[in-house]
Parts: sequence; C-alpha cells; structure tokens
Amino acid sequence: MNNLGTVFNFEFLRTITKKSFWVRTLSIPVLIVAVIALSIFSSKAASKAGEKAEQSHFSIAVIDDSHLVGAAVLTAAGAKAVLDRPHGIEMVKTGAVDAFFYYPARPWDEPVEVYAKDDGLANNSKYEAVATQLLKAGLAQAVGGADKAKLLEVGPTTMLTTYHDGQQTKGFGRAIVPGLFLVLFYAVIVLLGNQMLTSTTEEKENRVIEMILTSVTARTIIVGKILALVTLGLIQILALLLPIVVGYFGFRSQLNIPQIDLNTLSFAPVPILAGAAIFVGGFLLFTALLVAIGSAVPTAKEAGGFFGFTMILVFVPFYALGAIVTSPDQLIVKVMSFFPLTAPITLMLRNAAGNLSALETIVGVSILLVSGVILMALAIRIFRFGSLEYARRLGIREILTRKS
Amino acid sequence: MSEPIVSIDKFRMKFGENVVIDDLSFDVRSGETFAFLGSNGSGKTTTIRTLLGIFEPTVGTLLVKGQKYGPQLSSILGYLPEERGLYKKESVLSTMLYFGELRRMDRLVARKWSLDYLERIGLADKANVAIEKLSGGQQQKIQLGVTIMNDPELMILDEPTKGFDPVNRRLLMDIVEEHSKRGATVVLVTHQMEEVERLCDRVILLKDGKRRLYGTVDEIKHDYGSEVIDLEFTGVLPEHSKRYRVEQSGKRNAELSMVGAATAPEVLAELVSHKSLAITKFELRRSSLDDIFVNIYHETAAIGGGHE
Repeated sequence: MNNLGTVFNFEFLRTITKKSFWVRTLSIPVLIVAVIALSIFSSKAASKAGEKAEQSHFSIAVIDDSHLVGAAVLTAAGAKAVLDRPHGIEMVKTGAVDAFFYYPARPWDEPVEVYAKDDGLANNSKYEAVATQLLKAGLAQAVGGADKAKLLEVGPTTMLTTYHDGQQTKGFGRAIVPGLFLVLFYAVIVLLGNQMLTSTTEEKENRVIEMILTSVTARTIIVGKILALVTLGLIQILALLLPIVVGYFGFRSQLNIPQIDLNTLSFAPVPILAGAAIFVGGFLLFTALLVAIGSAVPTAKEAGGFFGFTMILVFVPFYALGAIVTSPDQLIVKVMSFFPLTAPITLMLRNAAGNLSALETIVGVSILLVSGVILMALAIRIFRFGSLEYARRLGIREILTRKS
Repeated sequence: MSEPIVSIDKFRMKFGENVVIDDLSFDVRSGETFAFLGSNGSGKTTTIRTLLGIFEPTVGTLLVKGQKYGPQLSSILGYLPEERGLYKKESVLSTMLYFGELRRMDRLVARKWSLDYLERIGLADKANVAIEKLSGGQQQKIQLGVTIMNDPELMILDEPTKGFDPVNRRLLMDIVEEHSKRGATVVLVTHQMEEVERLCDRVILLKDGKRRLYGTVDEIKHDYGSEVIDLEFTGVLPEHSKRYRVEQSGKRNAELSMVGAATAPEVLAELVSHKSLAITKFELRRSSLDDIFVNIYHETAAIGGGHE
C-alpha cells in the first residue's frame, strides 16, 4: 500500500494539531473529575447536615402506641408523654413543644406521624430523622444492642469461595478482565464512531477525491484513515485513563479510593484471548459499517442521521443483559450471539459471564471477521464509486455491478 | 513523430445498459498539446477517469506510458479534474505538502516549491491560513499549484478554466504554455475553441461517446471547414438566395456560407445588386473550430472519412 504513511500522517497530524481535538479530549476527564468532586462535596454536605440534624435539640411530645420505642429511650430524649393526638398537635400549634411524634401500633404498616414547627425547608428533615432514630434506638434495646440491630437492618457481609475441578476459582473477579474488552469496545465506538462515519464524507463534500484517487488507492485511503483514527482514539483513551491512574497511585487516600486487590482478578488466558478476538472482529465490522454509510451518502450531515441507528444496533444486547448472563441457551441469546451486528456486545457479555463455549467463540469470531472483511471490501467500493457521486446516493446494485 | 504517452484502443464503457463510450481509439503524443472536445455528456470525463484508473473500462485498453495507470505513475501526472476542490479546513501549506508527498515528492522539496509558488502568486503570507479563509480566486490559484507542483510530464486539465476568473484564467494558460514549452504533454478538455486554436497541436471531438473528428487543427479546419463570409451592412439583407445561406445575423452584421458551387465574387455581386442593402465590410475567411464544432453537433447524419 504505497502512500499509506503519507495518508496516515496527514490524517493524524491534521486532527491532533487542532485545538478542538484537545478541547474535546481533555474536557472529558475534566468533566469526570468535576462530576466526582461535585458528588463528593454534595455527599459530604448532606452527611454533615444529617449529623447536625441528629445533634440538634428541640422539645418533643410523644405518643408511643407501638411500645417499641420504650420509656427509657423517651426519657433519655427528654420527650413528654401526651394522652391523645389532638392534644399533641395542639401543643405544636401553640408552641408548647417544637415537635410531636405519633408512633402507631403497627409502624411497619402505618407511617410514623410527625408534627413540628416549620424551621425552613433545609432544616425540617431533622424532625423525621430524630423520630426514626428514637424508634431505631428502641428496637436496638429490644434485640439486645445496636450491633445486632444493624445486622438485622443491613444483613451480614458474605465471602464466597468456589471451586472448579478441585481448584479455587475467582468468582466475580474472573469477569473483570474479559469485561474490560467490553468497556474498550464501548469507548472506541463512542469516541470514534462519529468520526469514522464522517471521515470519508470530507473528500466528497470538498470535491477532492478525484485528485486523491489518481495518487493513492481507495483501500490505502480507508486504511490510512482508520489507522489514524485508532491512534487518535488511543490518545483519547489514555487521556481518560491518566487522571484515574494518577488519582489512584498519587492521591488514593485523599480521595478515599478503595484499594484494588489484584489477587481477586482472574488472568486466565482463554477468556482474555476470546475477548481480544471478539473485540478485533467487532471493531472491524463496525468500522466497515460506518465507513460504508459515510461513503454512500452525499454529506456529513446526512451521514450523521445514520449514527443513532447504528448505535442502537450496537448496544441493543444490553437490553437483554439478564437473559444473556443467566440464560445463554435461550433462542434470542443464540440469535444475538451470531447475528453480526449484535454479536460483538453479546459475545463479550457472555465471555465475561463465563457462559461462552470454545465452539461458540470460534463461530462467533469467524462470523464477525468474515462479515467485517466483506463489509470493508464493500465500503472501499462504495468509497471509490460513491465519492464521485456528488449529488446522489449510489444504489447497492450499481455498486455491486460496476467493474473494478 | 514522438511516441504516444497516452494510448486508448477500442475503449467501450457501459454504465448499466447505457453505453457511454463506444469503440474509442486515439493516442496523445509525447510533448504535444492535445484538445479533447465534446459537448457535456459526450463522454470526455468518463474517458479521463478511466484512463487514470478511477473507472475500469468495459472493453478496451487505456495506457499511460505503455502501462495501465496506477498510483505508481502519479509522479508524472498533473491532473485538474472538472469537479475539484481542496481540504477547506486545512492550511494552504499542509494541503500542498500532502498532495506533493502523494505524488512522491520529497517533503522538503515540496515545501520549498510551495513557498516559492505562493511567493510567485502573491500569497506568501497565506501559507498557514486555512483554505476556507481564502477568496475563491485565491483558492483557484492554490488548486493550480497543487496540479503542477510535481513538474508533471503529463498534464490533464478537465475544463480548466471552468469557474476561473479572468486573472486566474490567464495564469492557467501561461502555466500551460510554460509547461508545454518545457516539453510536457498537455491534454486539454475544454469548450474554449479559441484556446484550442491558439495552444493545441491536435484535436479529438467526441459526440455521443463516439469519435467524430481527430487530427491536427489545420487538418480538421481544412477537411471540415468551409469558406465563410463575414458581412457588415446597413439596410435589409435578403435571407433567401441560391448562392448563400445566412448562418448568423444581427442588425448590421451577418455570417454567410456559400451554397453549392457559388463563389465569393458571385455572392458579392448578388449582394451589391440589392438596392436596399449597403455593404460596409465583406471579408472571406475559413470557418473556425467553433463553427465546425457547432456544425458537427447540429448535423443529423454521421460524418465519414477524412480524419475521423
């Protein structure tokens, strides 16, 4: 492929030297950092507000028809007992107390009623928080302490150890590494999809293709463009990963990031190789599809209209995630595993879940590679002939029957 | 006689059931300036695209320097297509360097040539400006530069003056003449007959995908041209005569052709005899290529013999 290096350099340099590329690339990690920081700030602020609410002091009147709170807790909280609800409500209205809590006889069926002096939208939540805390404290006493009450409330943590052929297996950890190919595929399609779709329309829109085709073959142009886009995509992915890596190794404790235990991950070669093969086949197929669409339509604007449709095809298997992971023998899962457009995501999900057999992997990858190569050859034909059609779309029959 | 640099033999092209070119054969000799004529849709651009490997012929052989054209020959080619443009978002210099490198030029050589060319056309300060920021005329100059930057041995210019302003048209023609004098072969696809008469050695004319005329400009004018009378007058010019036919006429001028064996003196004598007509100019000349072109396209029966 003569001139491949020239095409690659031109396509790569003209993108990477543009401010818009760096703004687009760097804005993603900046946005991620901003969203995480905002989330942490918001969470801390809410937590502080909750603590403040729980520590706040106000006068309380109570009726405990449930008998679950208990006199000791009520006394410790300084709550006054009242005889009936209207009286308690009246006490709040007249300002005799700040709040009145009514615990019904069956609080698991009925709500705990809270009547209180309006202290502003941000502060009113303290009344419900204290009413809940009093009930929890009463229950804790009943079950024999706060730890037992917490255990009852959130349940225990468990540790699963599984074995296969007498060897200990990694459990969920075995899905992580093969699953990374799924993340990579998603990132590549999202980051590069639109650029691939419109990469070939520029020559057509600018009427430059005829001069180009006398110096370089259509195949070389397409391959050069794809290689440049992949390289640019890798740079974008690195730009995404860099803050994560720096954050993990440089500021893990400050950012409260949990430590990753590599021993829990499985690096079994077969699922990793299968994931890589599915990724390559899927990437080839969708690259060819996007280039073919871009070459067939007259303008980038028109090509953009097809992008959403293509994305739906790519990611539709996520809507059947449950069936793909738990019921791989269902017909719909089989169909999605071997239909070229849905195969990449379905096969990657099944590979990560560990329910993809060796035979299914070979068949699935073969389908992806063969259909990818056929579609790529078609894309090159469409680019070659379609790019000279400046005002109309080429029919598929015309593309297939023209001599080349 | 020099060797052909372009040889087209029994070329036939079909798109679906539509025959666009039928049994076309001709060659272009090394160093000559060759005109490729025909009305819109006659098959000129299809022939050029097939010669340059963009299309594949249905039948026939199309060769450049004795071989089928491919990117390996791009270093000898300067091609200005009818549908042309540049990467609008890219800078002038990076665009020129890209096209130079595609034609196997060394990057440094391409850079030097580009900067010299920009200096020559007065756009030295625009080297790093995006092409879309240039005026239409300035973009045309860059397009020309991209076409000739590899000092091509074979220049194929498809309707080169289409859309060009008069200044760039002159620049283009100067460049064509310059390269022609240096020994380059120029294939000019054009409708501008005065340019053909001024610049070209030989001509081919296509009509409906078939060769209708082929030869030197002089041969074609000799074989297909006729004597034409340019007349200026006052009064009324009789339109019907046994000796002449009015080809074109205005209020005070007309172009006449002679009918049958009539001679110019006989036509002049007849015109003078009309009392309602006063002749102020009577000039006899051979018909131009433009006249021949129009006649060919107006005729219903095929022309045979001669240089066809």
